Amino acid sequence: MIVPAEVILGLSAILFGIGLFGFLARRNIILMLVSVEVMLNAVNLSLAGFGRHLEDLRGQVLALFVIVVAAAEVAVGLGLLIALSRNKPGATVADLTKLKW
Amino acid sequence: MALLTATFYYMAAASVASALLAVMAKNPVHSMLWVLALFLHVAGIFLLLGAEFLAAVQVIVYAGAILIFYLFILMLLDLPDVEAQPRFGRHWPLAAGAGLLFAGFAWLARAGTGLAPAGRRVATDGAPQSSLETIGIALFGPFALPFETASLLLLAAIIGAVVLARRRAA
Repeated sequence: MIVPAEVILGLSAILFGIGLFGFLARRNIILMLVSVEVMLNAVNLSLAGFGRHLEDLRGQVLALFVIVVAAAEVAVGLGLLIALSRNKPGATVADLTKLKW
Repeated sequence: MALLTATFYYMAAASVASALLAVMAKNPVHSMLWVLALFLHVAGIFLLLGAEFLAAVQVIVYAGAILIFYLFILMLLDLPDVEAQPRFGRHWPLAAGAGLLFAGFAWLARAGTGLAPAGRRVATDGAPQSSLETIGIALFGPFALPFETASLLLLAAIIGAVVLARRRAA
């Protein structure tokens, strides 16, 4: 083991916090989705760290499934974004106020 | 071993820095390039953790497919005035507080996980196998049902994306 598992978990916590900040603060929908990718990467990191620490392969397998779900999320999310921008140009959350009462 | 530890800390510092720059960059294309740097550094950390297959999948799927898809959409939508608009909403201090709070809680919780010190566990697998081989056996053995469900999920996502992005015939 190169570094203790706590270090990897701490790195994962910092990356997740950065991604959370980006998701909540950015106004561009594409960059909000990119921040979600940063958060998913942080989770993958902690899964791989736990798998390494416990010498259990299930951490890596679970991280693979997280990557699959991320790919599906990107496909559907960006498809939605294309459909939205076809109706109304612009890619910021402030453009999507049609449902606002 | 000291060299590997130093490499890990370089990867960790570089990934935190590129994640911050990706979130803060004004130009979305710069943001994508910083996310690419983040993905590659995380793949390096996976390599250091002995997860070679995960590192390869990270480079191929994340850096190769997902990021290119984002860049395609970014170019397709063609947002000319995106740099003139403010990057963050007015509520960004709240968002920063939420991010810091979560990171702080996770940082504190990590101390209480009660992880056994590494190295005390003895591998019971007998002969060491290559990581790829054991992952393949696990994916088609005990994880066969989740594996097939994942393929179904990807199929649903493909069809969903096509249906959503299709131009409606007026």
